[in-house]
Amino acid sequence: MSSLAVTALVVTALLAALLATWRILAGPTHADRIVALDIFLAAAVALAVAASLATGRTVFLDVAIGLALVGFVATIGWARVVESRAGEGPQ
Amino acid sequence: MSLLGALLLVLGGLLLVLAAWGVIVLPDALARQHAATKAGTLALALVCIGALLQVPDTAWAWRLALILGFLLATLPVASHLLARAAVREAGMDVAVREAPRVDAPPG
Repeated sequence: MSSLAVTALVVTALLAALLATWRILAGPTHADRIVALDIFLAAAVALAVAASLATGRTVFLDVAIGLALVGFVATIGWARVVESRAGEGPQ
Repeated sequence: MSLLGALLLVLGGLLLVLAAWGVIVLPDALARQHAATKAGTLALALVCIGALLQVPDTAWAWRLALILGFLLATLPVASHLLARAAVREAGMDVAVREAPRVDAPPG
């Protein structure tokens, strides 16, 4: 039962990453791509939790903690870059 | 307890797919940002609580609580900055500046 749930979590997280990949490729604005990156971050955290459930090791939870922090800083950085370039005409 | 945990894990995964689906189908960056951050936060909260119910252990509990705490503290800020970037990039600054304010006198 538990391994089935972990499998379902992995499959759904990968599906979410696939959909986000489509949004990154399609755009059309840079803000859309950063939003899709946010989905990638959420999928990565979910996959890290699934990995630690599948193996029974807590190290993957430490990976998820690091991902959550780094992803936040990355999102803020990209948002500031897009914002500062917004007034410079067509991309 | 384990059954509830498994249910929450699956529900979290489905909600994550729903968030990604919203990022695909919604019309502009502002609406997409809403789908990604709100549904994404709830999805990760469900996944963390589900994992906690699966493995009732102290070492797991405080790590999962730390992940959840970081996400709940940081995702609203990221959401706000994303919305601001989307507004600036779409050139909606003027519309935002001219929109009626809450504290403005009527008329």
